[in-house]
Amino acid sequence: MGILFSKMFSSVFGNKEARILVLGLDNAGKTTILYRLQMGEVVSTIPTIGFNVETVQYNNIKFQVWDLGGQTSIRPYWRCYFPNTQAIIYVVDSSDVDRLVIAKDEFHAILEEEELRGAIVLIFANKQDLPGALDDAAVTEALELHKIKNRQWAIFKTSAIKGEGLFEGLDWLSNTLKSGGG
Amino acid sequence: MFSLFYGLWKYMFSKTELHVLILGIDKAGKTTLLEKLKSVYSNLEGLPPDRIVPTVGLNIGRIEVENSKLLFWDLGGQPGLRSIWEKYYEEAHALIYVIDAACPSRFEDAKSELEKVLRHDDLQGAPLLILANKQDLPDSVSADELDQYLDLKKLDERVYMFEAVSAYDGMGIKESVDWLVEVMERSKRTEMLRARAGVTGPGA
Repeated sequence: MGILFSKMFSSVFGNKEARILVLGLDNAGKTTILYRLQMGEVVSTIPTIGFNVETVQYNNIKFQVWDLGGQTSIRPYWRCYFPNTQAIIYVVDSSDVDRLVIAKDEFHAILEEEELRGAIVLIFANKQDLPGALDDAAVTEALELHKIKNRQWAIFKTSAIKGEGLFEGLDWLSNTLKSGGG
Repeated sequence: MFSLFYGLWKYMFSKTELHVLILGIDKAGKTTLLEKLKSVYSNLEGLPPDRIVPTVGLNIGRIEVENSKLLFWDLGGQPGLRSIWEKYYEEAHALIYVIDAACPSRFEDAKSELEKVLRHDDLQGAPLLILANKQDLPDSVSADELDQYLDLKKLDERVYMFEAVSAYDGMGIKESVDWLVEVMERSKRTEMLRARAGVTGPGA
């Protein structure tokens, strides 16, 4: 009953909550993105061992954003966080061309996870400020995004350092979550 | 336990989904069409037109019409994104091509992209529905006029139709879907795709 009322309350006032996972290889920029979204500034980060979690309020949606460490040795622990996830933000270092193949393999492995079946996917082609960064079309190709045929996805060129593209991505997330996407 | 039986029942009696690809150049109204389809045929609200932003990826929508299940793929139409269209051809049962009928200056671009799409081997035999969209705007051309403008050659063997619609107010949407379902259900391509799905197993 309490749940019912709280649901009614939140639908009247439009305050939805969504659980978002930020994933990607180490050094892709996940933590920088998280704090850029939350505080609007660039913080200096160290490689994440474990996770950071923050709440970001945007477009009437309360995003609970989980930034999970991306190093090889800790990637197996990602799956502990998969249940009840509405969306994944997959962050790619667009200038790290050599590791795009690994980024692709990890990405498609995530998509196979049963517990993430209903999650929509937002890709950040990050580090657009660096020379030699691939554009959105090239990253789309490299990640083989066309293999996704059963859920919504979108890709945005971002620079976490300059703060570009991030909120356009969140706009897409909130619109898609509201229209019942997935 | 119930869900197990339900799953089995669904597996045995459900038809395969029919995949409909929605293409067209940017600003044609593909996503507005998809959202309209969702709101007309399912209990989802669908995004209002003023909240729709240019697509940079894939939007999907699922609807059921009578006994058919339809899955729509709406792909971004900006020039840089058109290269991924062809990756979806092989599994598509039919194609909807959306054109902004109120914007004659872009008919040439729309036409050349459509011709490129139709030349592709992977879309052979796929029924084609060309929508003269934005009929809610005063200076939009009719379906016949658009047909003449485009002057498409070599369409003869393909099942196709022009339809005047407004994805904004819903005009022509039901007629379009009725036609699509009918031609898809009896097209050779659907037969071929179903046979292939049967060989490689369900799901995927």
